[in-house]
Amino acid sequence: MTAPLVRAENVSRSFVSHSGWLARRAEVKAVREVDITVGRGEALGVVGESGCGKSTLGRMLLHLLPPTTGRVFFDGHALHDLTPATRRRMRARMQMIFQDPYGSLDPRRRAGDQIADGIMIHGLADPIEARARVADLLQRVGLDPAHGDRLPHEFSGGQRQRIAIARALATKPDFIVADEPVSALDVSVQAQIVTLMAELRSSFGLALLFISHDLHVVRHLCERVVVMYLGRVVEEGDVSEIFSAPAHPYTRALTAATPSIRSRTRSRKAVLSGDLPNPAASPSGCVFHTRCPHAIASCAENIPALRQIAPGWRVACLRDDIVAQHG
Amino acid sequence: MAARPIHRLYLPGAIVAAIIAVALAAPLLPLADPVKMEVPARLALPSLGHVLGQDEYGRDVLSRIIWGARASLAVAFFSAICAGLVGTALGLIGGYARGFLEIVTVRSMEAIVCFPPILLALLVVTLMGPGAATLVIALTILYAPGYTRVAFAATLATRGLDYVTAQQALGARPVRILARTILPNVAPPLLVQFSLTVAAAMVLESGLSFLGLGVVPPAPSWGLMIRGARSTMEQAPWLLLWPCLALTGTILTFNQLCDRLRDVLDPRAGSAGAGWLERAAARVWPDASPAAAPSLLRVEGLTIEIETPTARIRPVRDVSLSLAPGETLALVGESGSGKTLTGLALMGLLPPTMEIVTGRVLFVDRGGRARDLVHLPETEMRGLRGDEIAMVFQDPGSSLNPVHRIGDQVAEVIRAHRDLSRAGAAAQAVALLKDVGLPDPEQRSRAYPHELSGGQRQRTMIAAAIANGPRLLIADEPTTALDVTIQAQILDLLAVFKAKSDMGLIFITHNLAVVAEIADRVCVMYAGEIVEEGPVAEVFARPRHPYTAALIASAPEGADAQLAAIPGTVPLPDALPAGCTFAPRCACAAEPCHAAKPAFAEVSPGHASRCFRWKEIA
Repeated sequence: MTAPLVRAENVSRSFVSHSGWLARRAEVKAVREVDITVGRGEALGVVGESGCGKSTLGRMLLHLLPPTTGRVFFDGHALHDLTPATRRRMRARMQMIFQDPYGSLDPRRRAGDQIADGIMIHGLADPIEARARVADLLQRVGLDPAHGDRLPHEFSGGQRQRIAIARALATKPDFIVADEPVSALDVSVQAQIVTLMAELRSSFGLALLFISHDLHVVRHLCERVVVMYLGRVVEEGDVSEIFSAPAHPYTRALTAATPSIRSRTRSRKAVLSGDLPNPAASPSGCVFHTRCPHAIASCAENIPALRQIAPGWRVACLRDDIVAQHG
Repeated sequence: MAARPIHRLYLPGAIVAAIIAVALAAPLLPLADPVKMEVPARLALPSLGHVLGQDEYGRDVLSRIIWGARASLAVAFFSAICAGLVGTALGLIGGYARGFLEIVTVRSMEAIVCFPPILLALLVVTLMGPGAATLVIALTILYAPGYTRVAFAATLATRGLDYVTAQQALGARPVRILARTILPNVAPPLLVQFSLTVAAAMVLESGLSFLGLGVVPPAPSWGLMIRGARSTMEQAPWLLLWPCLALTGTILTFNQLCDRLRDVLDPRAGSAGAGWLERAAARVWPDASPAAAPSLLRVEGLTIEIETPTARIRPVRDVSLSLAPGETLALVGESGSGKTLTGLALMGLLPPTMEIVTGRVLFVDRGGRARDLVHLPETEMRGLRGDEIAMVFQDPGSSLNPVHRIGDQVAEVIRAHRDLSRAGAAAQAVALLKDVGLPDPEQRSRAYPHELSGGQRQRTMIAAAIANGPRLLIADEPTTALDVTIQAQILDLLAVFKAKSDMGLIFITHNLAVVAEIADRVCVMYAGEIVEEGPVAEVFARPRHPYTAALIASAPEGADAQLAAIPGTVPLPDALPAGCTFAPRCACAAEPCHAAKPAFAEVSPGHASRCFRWKEIA
């Protein structure tokens, strides 16, 4: 692995929800004791279903949400210990791309102005130079530079996502968190954006945290992947290795449940029973034991630690025999 | 999209400008002295010299109205602006920072609201003595909390949006975020608040002056004029009319102006919402008798038209398809392909702005009669809907009624079509919920939709849809909002039901992989037309339309292959290309493709394509 750029140490985040007039206080542990590292220029995928904490994790890495416990380091600096002003300056080097291209652009400001925001905030160029940079960025994301004068609603979803990408690239960052950037797009446009991101990533030398529920997309764009379930990392390792021979029962269920154009028959027996547990009342022991086909009594009591099963491949499962069957 | 309706501002804007200009120009106008008394001519009727008559002291009413406008408008505008500045700033800060600052700003403002407004105004006036300046201060204090609450609520709603987070991620300072991102986006409700405040301030100014606490006589103001006219109401009722007319007229035009200003400032102005779920009035058609009866459903040349202010556009054109009992047909396409509209048209649920201009939808009912759903009267259509034809929508969260228990909602569907007791329907509903795999159905049937997970809600929707054993089920993206492990469960559930009955299923989706799994045949739609139709395995293995081929190639499957993206975007229905609709994005497009529209032609038995060059790309 390359030199680490972003490192999260044992980060957790919980949200307290006051549920209305019944005044019940429920603590939702969105992310629990997660350690991850993103190397310089590396693309790390984060995969999981809704409520698994992948978006919360992404925002914590940028300190848009401070972790409840644990620390995040960016290029050696602990983000939590920096003054707000220093942290704001640091933001030029780390950026974010959001899922909903309709919600992530200010509907009242021209596309070009929004792309120029980062440049102006950090004083990276004077207004004339900034205009030239915006035109260049628009071209690089495949849009007509003249379209910088348009308002967001004049663009299609795919084009808006290109604008959001241009905005994130404007400050020449080292690290981008992309939170489901293609899930809201049509299939054909999805492919355009994934291709664009792969291209830009190599030409800008970006490190990328790519959050997605779509295994296929992650496989295309990332070298390593982290699989999350209910706030915990259950498996981590090389993308192609994990998806060709998943070791954790959840990763197996996830890959089995994903339909494919090429193989018409999904294995019916691999369908998980039951729903995702409510994160406010998450299961004891292994978070997956309520839906796991291989769960045994001790799974409900002991929290499995991530352990290495091969170089760079870690799995959190108590059932050594099941894990050993992979591949 | 329509241009912003700036012209709608002209009329109220001109009137407001005229009112303000006249008030400002009062000293320059050839008016009688507003305070000069002429007691012998008191309560005189309108005359040439005094167009609106004279008041109880013989003063010229027109002159007093115009001079009074200066006092009334100045007090109202100044106080509304001051209150707006103070209140908005406090609301923005409280809403953005939350915590301690919220208590200081928002909650303290709310304390002011607890005082009766007149009492508060009286207090300020008593402390500071009557006069226009006092009025401005009193009204500012009174109206600031209104702005604070509006700004606070709008800021709370806006600060969590992605584009605000994006500004934080860019490293913008809070002041910049507040001023450049949040303020412009919370401005529309504040504008409305401003117009309401100006109106209220004018009324309250009149009220306070009426009580003798505002503008000091003999200086004119509309409130003082109403006060004066009241005492002579019996003899000269018209004196009451003029200031009241001036007051209401100004307030009305001002409200109009602010409302329209808000519309104009909305960047997405011009897209009016349309009523939903209402069938357009039935048109009289030359009804051709259904010739050859289909096995279950046959759609022939369905074309849907929308009338927009600028043009008539056709988002669905010449769609033909057929379905046999027990068969699953997938309608697949990207957004804007017309797949959802086609589904709604089959259900007779097109929004009222759209109508079916040509085509037939032949459906064979339980009695074996073929009926044309396009020409069926609404009452008969309602009898079929939910009974013989049912639909499952994409978002199970919004298609269940949040205030009714789910068991009741399923029972409702049964009782709408079956003569069944309440208890009988309830028992059947529980049985259905059990069939769709809801855990603990007796207990769960008493739950409200929000107590269920997304997957459970979709199971409930399916239970309601199959409650009466429909012959045709239309499922519009039923698994798109669900996680993959839950999607797998729902697909299995649908497969099990299909196997048990001879229900025909039309499955609308954008996900090719789901099509591969569930469907027997597939119709690929692009920009309102079917471009390819055939058995799923054959279409996926040997696509005969470049669009289908490109869609399959762009699906991010496989370990290494470079993704083949389709360049460009789907054309809008009001700007369709002249030739083949896909030609501008097609890698195989040749000269004729841009000139003429290809016909939908059979390439092998049961497999058709709308392409000139299918032989070459095969």
